[in-house]
Amino acid sequence: MKRSTLVAIGLWILAVGSSRVAAAQSVPAAEPGRLEVSVGALWIGQLALGSNDANETTPTGGNLKIFSTSTDLGSVAGLEARMGVRLLQSLEAEVEGSYGTPQLKVTITGDIENAPDVTATESVQQFTLGAGVMWYLPVHAARARLVPFVSGGVGHLRQVHEERTSLETGLYYYVGGGAKWLLFARPRGFVNAIGLRVDARAIVRTKGVAFDDGGHTSPAIGASAFVRF
Amino acid sequence: MRRPLAAIVAAALVFVQAPPAYAYLKFGVTVGGQAITLKWTQMPVRYSISNQGITDVSVADFQGRRRPRVRDVAGGADRVNLVSVRRDYRRAARAGRRTVDAGVSEPPGARSRPGVDQLSRRSGERGPPRVDIFFNTAFQWSVAPAGATGRFDLESTALHEIGHLSGLGHSALGETELRDGGGRRVLAAEAVMFPIAFSAGSVTGRTLKADDITGITDLYPEADFARTSGSVSGRVTKEGQPIFGAHIVAFDVARGTSVGGFTLTADGRFSIGSMTPGIYILRAEPIDDADVDSFFDASRNTDIDFRVMFVDRVVVVPKGGDSGDVAVAVVRK
Repeated sequence: MKRSTLVAIGLWILAVGSSRVAAAQSVPAAEPGRLEVSVGALWIGQLALGSNDANETTPTGGNLKIFSTSTDLGSVAGLEARMGVRLLQSLEAEVEGSYGTPQLKVTITGDIENAPDVTATESVQQFTLGAGVMWYLPVHAARARLVPFVSGGVGHLRQVHEERTSLETGLYYYVGGGAKWLLFARPRGFVNAIGLRVDARAIVRTKGVAFDDGGHTSPAIGASAFVRF
Repeated sequence: MRRPLAAIVAAALVFVQAPPAYAYLKFGVTVGGQAITLKWTQMPVRYSISNQGITDVSVADFQGRRRPRVRDVAGGADRVNLVSVRRDYRRAARAGRRTVDAGVSEPPGARSRPGVDQLSRRSGERGPPRVDIFFNTAFQWSVAPAGATGRFDLESTALHEIGHLSGLGHSALGETELRDGGGRRVLAAEAVMFPIAFSAGSVTGRTLKADDITGITDLYPEADFARTSGSVSGRVTKEGQPIFGAHIVAFDVARGTSVGGFTLTADGRFSIGSMTPGIYILRAEPIDDADVDSFFDASRNTDIDFRVMFVDRVVVVPKGGDSGDVAVAVVRK
């Protein structure tokens, strides 16, 4: 498992584990029907898209390697916005969108005529728009400031190549979890709560710039500020 | 001396104006500064076969009684999706006078090559010119399915020559080494249209590669092919000056296939059309695995004094469009 994935999982465990510590700090519980808006940063880890050799066919039908390539969609830090509505006290539905510009990188090595190794790159604009659900874990005290959750969702993926010559589309799915830390909360009023949200996810992207139609998984970490109305 | 077995082809061959793409060497001429490609415009192309005393391959081999069948060979391009070229076998007796050349002799230059194409028009002859494919009787031939030791594969050579009569020039996708006694030995090639044949006994040349398919598709596209394919174009310079004859290889990193083109204009431009949309990297190299005159006239100032290099940007070939101008700056060796 990649280091970045381990870090993301660790953060999530830390967030869940610390919820009991914060349980003593009592805040009003969120009521169904409340709307929550959050804006923040999203980091998505690198995605290995695949490797291919440039071969030529020998007289006996074998391969002569001319050079090798390895293609990755680099890690990216971007923006993320969410809007959710509390369906039940422990369940929230949300729509989310994100934007980032990861680098598409093709590393070229081992040229048969000794051409220098090169990493060819381009910038890809990546947009996502999706929907998901959050379930607030019952491990926390009803009125704790630190609220752990698990989440999952699905959405549409759009990736635009640097010269805007081509648009790739696909789907993404995610599962993960994290915690919300309430900085301010009150039982009544237009603004019900303000807080911070941190979560770790495993994001599965299909199609887009990928070489195949299968799913490709990357770790992701989001951090945002939210306002609950 | 044995006389050659000749596959004689005649049909309506006319000059048509090519789209502004400068890749896949094609037979053609330049008129008023514009590239005019030579291609067949009347389908099917009819061909006939004559046997002038050759003993190791008979007309029957071509007519399909034994493998490989020439209909399969001639239909090689037909196996390519989206290519509209069609050929039609006609027996020599039915083909009419102009399609049969019973007294054909070896054309100049044929002695050193397994096969050669010759475009000709008889004195006083009207109508379309004729293309003759000669299989050199100085070579021993085989039609065995798995090839035969010491004999050249007829199907492989036929496929290459049919590429020429379809309008394709040579591809530079191949690696060779110099022989001690002179000439070159092919280490590997990724195009049937590579100018040097595989060694005797090999049947590798029977299989069309991505470069052949893309080239023939560029010549004979289906009506809506332009909407589903793309192109890459750019310019190659050395010390700020454009160079002619640089070989540009576009490698599809997802599919692992290569197609090649050349800078073919005075300002060093290249454009490779009819490509499968996708993510590519570009490699620029001098022509150093075959004689330059296998590709260009000796009168052209082909530059082979530069190092092999990769372009440091990813090139995206979009569906129905062009990659945008790719600047390639090579350096002297």
